Amino acid sequence: MRCNYCEWRCELSGSKYGICKMYHEQDGEIQERFPYQWSTYTVSHIESFPFYHAYPGSKSLAIGTVGCNFDCQYCSNAFIAKGEPDTLLEHLFYLTPEKVVKLALQTGCHNIVFNVNEPTVSIPSLLELSRAARQEGLAMGCLTNGYTTDEATELLASAFSFFNISLKSISSDFYRKYTRAPNVEPILRNIKRLAANSHVEVVTPVVPNVNDHELLEIARFLSSANPDMVWHVFRLLPEYKMKELRYPSIEALIPVLEEARQLLPYTYFHNFVGSDWVNTECTECGTVVIERLSLGCGGDRLISFDCQDNSCPECGHRIPMLGGKIEWNQEVV
Amino acid sequence: MELGIFDVREWQTMVNLSTGRKVEYDSPMVRLVKKVMAQHPYPGDFEMMGNQWVTDLALELVRNYDPGFVFLSYSQPYFAIRFNPMAPEKWQALVDNALTEAQRFIEESGFIPIIVGSGDMIPVEGYMDVSGLDGLAVCSPWSAHYEGVFHPSERDLEYVKSLSGLQRLVYREEFIRELGGKPSDKDRVPDWVLVAREGFTFKGMQSSLRPLARIPAHNQFIPVYSKLGPIKTITDVSPLIEENLKTHKVALIMVEGIGVKDFTLPFTPVVNGFSWYTYEPGESQFLALTTGQHQFFNYPPGLQYWPDDNENKPYPFSGYFNHLDENALGFRYNGRSIAVGNRSMLMHATSGADIALECFARNLYNHGTMAAILREKEFKEVSRSLL
Repeated sequence: MRCNYCEWRCELSGSKYGICKMYHEQDGEIQERFPYQWSTYTVSHIESFPFYHAYPGSKSLAIGTVGCNFDCQYCSNAFIAKGEPDTLLEHLFYLTPEKVVKLALQTGCHNIVFNVNEPTVSIPSLLELSRAARQEGLAMGCLTNGYTTDEATELLASAFSFFNISLKSISSDFYRKYTRAPNVEPILRNIKRLAANSHVEVVTPVVPNVNDHELLEIARFLSSANPDMVWHVFRLLPEYKMKELRYPSIEALIPVLEEARQLLPYTYFHNFVGSDWVNTECTECGTVVIERLSLGCGGDRLISFDCQDNSCPECGHRIPMLGGKIEWNQEVV
Repeated sequence: MELGIFDVREWQTMVNLSTGRKVEYDSPMVRLVKKVMAQHPYPGDFEMMGNQWVTDLALELVRNYDPGFVFLSYSQPYFAIRFNPMAPEKWQALVDNALTEAQRFIEESGFIPIIVGSGDMIPVEGYMDVSGLDGLAVCSPWSAHYEGVFHPSERDLEYVKSLSGLQRLVYREEFIRELGGKPSDKDRVPDWVLVAREGFTFKGMQSSLRPLARIPAHNQFIPVYSKLGPIKTITDVSPLIEENLKTHKVALIMVEGIGVKDFTLPFTPVVNGFSWYTYEPGESQFLALTTGQHQFFNYPPGLQYWPDDNENKPYPFSGYFNHLDENALGFRYNGRSIAVGNRSMLMHATSGADIALECFARNLYNHGTMAAILREKEFKEVSRSLL
């Protein structure tokens, strides 16, 4: 029986668990092997995932499971994303969806963000969680590689209201070589599909001499999907199998990103501490309307928000934003 | 103004440390620090070269800034053994390397050392999952022994009492009374502090996402190498150094992950806590060393740091620290002081040194290096290796 969650469409039967090792076939159905088993739950700033244009200033419960359907050679969470799931069980939390929501409420979180690994490997649990979260008025977001089937994309769209999709390259060659996924096309398709009806931000990690020449092409594609698309260009911190790679040059990338900003005005450049490229400027008059701090992987954070009702205080231009500013300790209603 | 300087390899920037806002500033001290940082990228928390990095940076600053007090931390053995199963020979190599680097600093600088091991590390025997409690169970960052529980229920009491790995449950009032707290400390202390039996640890909010190989033992004693005078307890270290700084140049050197079983220098076993409480490697142990005061209430077990973590939190680049302890040795000493180590923000937040040079690593991801300049003091610019 073929799994229909991601574009690998793995054949699952008996002890065949597919690329992600998180599903199996049972009684003629594809089922999760480890439902409701989470690898972490912790409080984070929404900017730290990053989401820069969704519920700014809010407090998020960050959660994850284990497993991934990609094998990114520079993965920063390989110990959890690429480990054998059944060897990690001792480290996981069994928490019902209602309990996860309760934890979010106990910690004063305004939303829940799935960010440690790939949500596609845990879709049934996440659908259940989204139902429980909706009942308490909590929005859910996720970070995904976007390699879902059409059907699974619809399921994700029903569970999450905001997405950060990793577009690592515009080239299938890159995906084959550095993620083992055969084709970029499903990811491009899903970015367009999700951007049509949901809040989507996109992140692109820059791998020196590998995808840095593609940045303008990526910007053009994203602009075609949504000219106001929020794009996070990440300075890659190579880990896992590419640990020895040199870090991308910031100075060399800045002129390219200046050009990219002509195509996509909400282009940010970070994942390095102290970045100057994390503030939001009004695209009409240039006023800085949102200021953030980049703490590298320590998590970005908001430091000022000067656009009441998501409009520039100087010229009134609308800043694209899902939801409005939320005070950090604002009660969840 | 307190300055923060970041070097992320081939790019540097500077901020006001207390506000996080970018600043432009130039001085001989800033130029010195920037040069040292540019020439010494951080190898990473797991890399043995991280020990050499500490010594190299410290010697550069000693040559060029001429401090009287130095605080160093060699923390690579702790990171390595906490998360990586390793053969005894490999562990011994890490211990030897860290202590050799500490001695290299002493030999080349001429400082009188106090070398402290943070305590032994032991294999994990078992986990206690407290995620299902009705109350909120919170683990302090990197803590293995202690868990805080807020708003527990009767059912929670039954559950925790059934945990085979639990050593004791300490109620808030008991915690404050037994460890010498004030009534106002109750706002920071959880309803319950759970204490694990040696070898056991908790699974709950903020517990380690990475699988653990070893955790700190309940180190009632830690090894201290010193020729300065008698030391009985961890809080004796700071006043002893302060006294000797009147006449000597002194280096306080922390070697993390190493306890009385592995410490290869001659040492005195020194009490590492108070009453039933033993320090784990981390901010409280560092502060007990540098302030000479026990540290049970600034960062108590199960501390919920996030309510204060809003847009106005001071020292946004200092993790959960929201102030710098003015009792730290660097603040009390009028001479020049430096801190260098691969223990990230603990270096500047617990030392009070004029200049703290540290790795900017978070959750073991290597983002580069950070310097905190807490105060500018005059020094003679010299034409040595850097300038």
